[in-house]
Amino acid sequence: MAKLFFKKQRQVEALIYEYLEYLETSRKHFAEAINTCLETGVCDDFDFRIRLTHKFESKADDVREKIKELMYSKALLPESRGDIMGLLEAMDKIPRLFELVLHMIKTQKLIIPDFIASDIKELLEVSFENCELMIKQVKTLFERANGIRSLVSTIDLNESRCDHIERGIITKIFDSDLDPFQKLQLKEMVVNMGEISDQTDRISKRVNIISMKRRV
Amino acid sequence: MLSLLGGIFLGWSLGANDASNVFGSAVAARMVKFRTAAILASGFVLLGALLEGQAGIETLKGLTPLNLEQAVVSSVAAAVTVTIMTILSLPVSTSQAVVGAILGIALLNQNINIPGLGKVVACWIGTPVGGMIISIIIYRMLAFFYNRLNKNLFQADNILRLSLIVAGSYGAYALGANNVANVTAVFVGAGELTLFSAVLLGGLSIDLGILTFSRRVMETVGRRLVRLDPFSALVVLLAEAIIVHIYTIIGVPVSTSQAVIGAVLGVGIIKGIRTVEKRTLMNILIGWFLTPAIAAVIALSIYFAINLRYVPMG
Repeated sequence: MAKLFFKKQRQVEALIYEYLEYLETSRKHFAEAINTCLETGVCDDFDFRIRLTHKFESKADDVREKIKELMYSKALLPESRGDIMGLLEAMDKIPRLFELVLHMIKTQKLIIPDFIASDIKELLEVSFENCELMIKQVKTLFERANGIRSLVSTIDLNESRCDHIERGIITKIFDSDLDPFQKLQLKEMVVNMGEISDQTDRISKRVNIISMKRRV
Repeated sequence: MLSLLGGIFLGWSLGANDASNVFGSAVAARMVKFRTAAILASGFVLLGALLEGQAGIETLKGLTPLNLEQAVVSSVAAAVTVTIMTILSLPVSTSQAVVGAILGIALLNQNINIPGLGKVVACWIGTPVGGMIISIIIYRMLAFFYNRLNKNLFQADNILRLSLIVAGSYGAYALGANNVANVTAVFVGAGELTLFSAVLLGGLSIDLGILTFSRRVMETVGRRLVRLDPFSALVVLLAEAIIVHIYTIIGVPVSTSQAVIGAVLGVGIIKGIRTVEKRTLMNILIGWFLTPAIAAVIALSIYFAINLRYVPMG
C-alpha cells in the first residue's frame, strides 16, 4: 500500500540519481577534453570529447524534464517540488559551463599557453573536487539529514581557493607579452572556468537552506 | 419528508463549504486527489455523526421547545441566511445561523433556555481562542519530535503528507460529529426524527454536499492554508479538529472556519509573523452578532408570512 502511495515519489528519487550520474559523466568528459587540449591542443579527440560532454549534458536535461513532469503530476508537497526544481535548475548551469568553455576553446581556436597550464589544471582540479562534494551533498539531502553543513564549509573553502587561483591566472595573462586580444579571450575562458566552483558554492548553500527548512 | 428539505439543504451547503476546512489544503496543493479527499471526508463525517453527533442535538433541541412547523421554519431560515450571506460574501457560520433561527422562534414562544444559550455563546467565543491555544501547544509538541527525526527530504515529505491525510480524516470526523446537530436537531426537538435517524440523515446530507459541490470551495479556500508551510498547515488542521472535537464532547455545534482562523493565529504567534488580517478577526465578531440576528429576523418573517390569514372586514 505504502509502495503504491509513494510510487511517483520513488520515481522522482530514481530520476534525481540518474541526473546526478549524467552530471558526473559530463564532468569526466569535460576533464578529459581539457587534458587533451592542454596536452595536444584542439584535435579530433578533443572534438570527440566535446560531443560526449554535450551528449550527457543533453541526457541530464531530458531527465530534468521528466522529473518536472512527474513532480507536477501530484508527487511530493508543493514546497518540495519548488525546492527540487530550483536545485535542478541551479545544477544544470554546471554542464552548460562545461560546454561553454569547450566551445570557446574550439570556436575561438584558443591555445592555452604553458605558463598558465599548471594553474588551469589546479583551478579545474579544485572545481572538480567541489563538483564531487556538491553531488555528495545533494545525495545526502535525499538519503539522510546529517552531514550537509560540514560539506558547505568545505565547498566554500574550495571556492575561495579557486577565486585566488583565478585571480592569479588573470594577473599572469595580463603580465605576459601575449596579444591583447588573446589576453581578453583567455581571461574570458578562465572566468568561465572559475564560475564552475562559484556555482557549486551557490548550490551547496541552497542545499543547506533546503535542509534547514525541514526543521521547524 | 418535505418538511425535512430545509435541513437537508442546510446539510448540503454545510458539506459543500466546510469540507474545505479539513481537506482544502491537501486538495489545493494537489497532494490528494479530490475524489480521494471527498470519499475520506464523507466517510468520516458520517462516522462522526453516527458515533458522537447526539450531544449537539440534545443541546440545540433544548434551547426552546419547537413544534414541527417551527422546526421547518427555523431550518429554512438558517438555510436562507447561509445562502444570502454567502451570496453577499459576508462571513457566515452555519452553527450561528441555526442558533439564531431557533432563537427567533424562541422569542416568539417567549421560552428561551438562558443557561443553554449561555453555554452555546461561550463556546462560540471559545472556538477561535481555543484553536489558537491548542495550535500553539501542538506546534511546540510536534516540532520537538519532528526535529529529532533524522529524516531526509523524501521522508519529511512522506511524514507530512500522511499526517495531513490522517489529520484531515480526523477533522472530517469532528466536523460530522459536531455539525450534524445544525442539520437535524430542530426536527428531533419537534418529534419528527429519532436521534439515530437525525444523525444518519444529517450525516448523509453533509456527505451529499461534500460529494457534489465541495470541489471548487476546497480548491479556492484551501489555498489560504497552502500559503502556510506544510508543517504549519498540519498543526492548523489538527488544532481545528481537536477544538471542534472538544466542543462535540461538550455538546455545542461550533464554526470550523473560526477554529481554523484561531489556529492560524496561533501559528503566527509562534513564528512571530502576522498570519491573520484584522479584517478576518472583525469578520468573526460580525459572525457572532450579525449571523444569529439575521437568522432570527428571517425566521420570524417566515413564521409571520406563513401564518398570515385573510380575515374579511365587517
